[in-house]
Amino acid sequence: MTYVLNRLLSVILTLFLITLVTFAVTNILPGDVAMMIMGTQSNPAALEGLRQSLGLNDPLLVQYGNWIGGLLTGDWGTSLIFKKPIAELLAQKAVASAIIVVMSMTIALALAVPLGVWAAVHRDKWQDTVSSSTALMGVSLPDFFWGIVMILVFARWLGWFPSSGIVEPSEDFLGSLRYAFLPSLALGLGLMAHLTRMTRSTMTGILGQEFIRVARAKGLRESTVIWRYALANAIGPVITIAGLQIGYLFGSIIVMESLFGYTGMGWLTYQALLNRDLPLIQATVFVIAAVVMITNLLVDLLYVLIDPRVKLG
Amino acid sequence: MKDIVSVDHLRVEFATDSGPVVGVEDVSFTIAPGETVCVVGESGSGKSVTSLSLMRLVEFGGGTIAAGALRFRRADGTELDVAAASPSVMGEVRGNEIGMIFQEPMTALNPVFTIERQLTDGLMLHKGLSQAQASARALDLLRSVRIPEPERRLKQYPHELSGGMRQRVVIAMAMACEPKLLIADEPTTALDVTIQAEILALINRLKRENGMAVLFITHDMAVVAQMADRVVVMYRGRIVETGTVDQIFTAPKEDYTKALLAAVPKLGEMKGKPAPERMRLIGDESARAARIAPVARKPQVLLDVRHLTTRFPVKGGILRRTVAQVHAVEDVSFTLNVGETLALVGESGCGKSSCGRSILRLVQPTSGEVWIGGRDIGALSHHDLRRARADMQMVFQDPFASLNPYRRLKDQVAEPIVNFGLASGAALKARVEELFDRVHLPRTFLNRFPHELSGGQRQRVAIARALAVNPKLIVADEAVSALDVSVQAQVLNLMMELQEDLGLSYLFISHDMAVVERVAHQVGVMYLGRIVEIGPRAAIFENPSHSYTRQLLSAVPIADPTKRRFADDLSFKPIKSPIFPLGHQPAPSVYTEVATGHFVLKD
Repeated sequence: MTYVLNRLLSVILTLFLITLVTFAVTNILPGDVAMMIMGTQSNPAALEGLRQSLGLNDPLLVQYGNWIGGLLTGDWGTSLIFKKPIAELLAQKAVASAIIVVMSMTIALALAVPLGVWAAVHRDKWQDTVSSSTALMGVSLPDFFWGIVMILVFARWLGWFPSSGIVEPSEDFLGSLRYAFLPSLALGLGLMAHLTRMTRSTMTGILGQEFIRVARAKGLRESTVIWRYALANAIGPVITIAGLQIGYLFGSIIVMESLFGYTGMGWLTYQALLNRDLPLIQATVFVIAAVVMITNLLVDLLYVLIDPRVKLG
Repeated sequence: MKDIVSVDHLRVEFATDSGPVVGVEDVSFTIAPGETVCVVGESGSGKSVTSLSLMRLVEFGGGTIAAGALRFRRADGTELDVAAASPSVMGEVRGNEIGMIFQEPMTALNPVFTIERQLTDGLMLHKGLSQAQASARALDLLRSVRIPEPERRLKQYPHELSGGMRQRVVIAMAMACEPKLLIADEPTTALDVTIQAEILALINRLKRENGMAVLFITHDMAVVAQMADRVVVMYRGRIVETGTVDQIFTAPKEDYTKALLAAVPKLGEMKGKPAPERMRLIGDESARAARIAPVARKPQVLLDVRHLTTRFPVKGGILRRTVAQVHAVEDVSFTLNVGETLALVGESGCGKSSCGRSILRLVQPTSGEVWIGGRDIGALSHHDLRRARADMQMVFQDPFASLNPYRRLKDQVAEPIVNFGLASGAALKARVEELFDRVHLPRTFLNRFPHELSGGQRQRVAIARALAVNPKLIVADEAVSALDVSVQAQVLNLMMELQEDLGLSYLFISHDMAVVERVAHQVGVMYLGRIVEIGPRAAIFENPSHSYTRQLLSAVPIADPTKRRFADDLSFKPIKSPIFPLGHQPAPSVYTEVATGHFVLKD
């Protein structure tokens, strides 16, 4: 328990640092928020009035204090482009994106683990070459390329999945999964590469261990030896890599959601960046950082369940 | 066929990029029911390949049985051709009719499964037991291998058990289905000597109670002498000689067997001899002057260690504070004379290595003084310490790890000379060549890399490197433990020769009592960080006076089949933990002098 508290404390400290950095960076960026809202041709007096009301003329420290205070009390400000409360906007989009994150990671693991195990079992044979080439291809080609391939194959030619758009999960959950599938698959193929390599290398190490030989000497079936004895030991590092990839995934999601017209967090971030919606940028960066850190904390806690040798503390 | 196993002209090949390599060839032997056959040989002799072939496990390591027959008489009396059996038949035999135990108890158990799961899965598979029946049987098995608190062990994971307990679990696993044959592949090599004695005694008892045959693979002639009915000697993939254990030890026919036996130090064979003696190796020129003349000059103290104490912090809690301390070295005092060897012996975790490192200040001692040649090492500044290190060098256990794989040997040997600015240019080259001659390495090796050498050759390089700066003291930390016995004997002889010629002093850290008896002038026995007994070699070996020394000596296997010692169950006191809470103030070490120069710790 002290371990969890300890880790939470460090998450909070890191988040605090992140707010400092995001606030600083967004304030150094050139451009005037008030001018962005009202347009370049607007009346200087009206601009000044808007600056006053937005608090843009306050000292930076006060502005930062106001922002943090808002973050903590749930008042995340108003998006400049959507003219809606940011908290409400994020809450709605986050669910849609969570579906993509979970689905793409599931697809990646479901493909990578068997492929990696297969390569490790047949190490230095043709199966290994096939597995490494597949993984290498997955990682060398950018995500958006996979997105285009998916649209072509599954939407255009086969017509199995929609090529674009979104259904709100609150309205039709299964329908929302259908819309999320293609972007998730494209992301999953990119994620798969590292996970396959990781599975292969940890499995290779584990299969060389004495306890695997002991398991075989007990007369256990080869499938038991590989999928129970070996995989139970190899899965930990794979999960850790998967956790770290969540961060990378949020970068890819921006492109992928825009490509598929899937209006989730990624799309929202893209819009915010495009239109210099500073309050929205600050909020999304903060949320993404928080999600990545909490995921990694959860992965570390999961480790305790996987490996009895790991003790919290 | 009345034999349970008959191996006939076995040939095993391994596929490599440059074509098949022969692992073993023309190997034939039999095992009768209830018999222990020991296959003995040095690394690369093919002894493990032979045992793995019997289980057809060799194919998982890339090997194939290329020729010959392996016949195993099954429980129902039918004869099975192991080489031709289908995977499903092998699945029935493995773990069910043939049990196997391996070398490394620390890695032989799956770290993420409980002991219970690992003990029961074979039983449920082979014997069709239910989970409850299998668990009950697992408990019986743990009792039969005499594990303390068996009920609790079932629910534990391997990392919660000591090495000795884990090896008992591995044996219980192998015994689970009451096999007719037990294959033991170096089952005690990784264990401390007292635990080895317990495990050997356990295997003997189980064999006697179950009428099981044992195929025992080992490199250790002393273990062979203790365990075998019959012996198969292997060398480079072929059988050299087979015979009963008495034949092999009293009248070996082949030169290789004779050489192997000559290289084995036998505990007790130095009785009545005043000084260390080199081993008389067959065909080794340097062994002609086999005897080291007793040091003629007046004993002169080189190393004086006073009340040396080293503690390591155990960190814990949120702020990573020190919550306890490992008392690795606790109030240790001794002296070492010029040109002599002091051996520190003890089991793993007794503090002997930490003691050696503390003396060289490779780890910082907590308190105490170390004087070398009249200089207080502990008081030296960083700069002076670096200079002083020229006088004290170290040779480590693993010659694979202690040499840099990316540098040529001549550069590695030259490095300390350059480092201390002792020579350069032609003088440096000449000095390195001289050092290679000194350790009997051909000069053609100068330009080679470590991976091109054997383990013994690498250890010679490590010794040459230590000698490069003309040290007075060499701390040899298990310097011969990783070497094959014939190579070990050569390196020991080299060390003794260098001592004689150069007047070196050795602090010889070792777990091997028989080797220590060969090389040491003085012996200190360590237990839980303290020296419990110290004195001249003869006094320690012929009149051991501390209970721990006696226990240690009684556990050493003797390379003589007429002196068998592991018939009945043995149980030595487990070694206590050296971890103490922060404020713990241990009592000082107080000794009784039982004879001149022979001190025993007061308990």
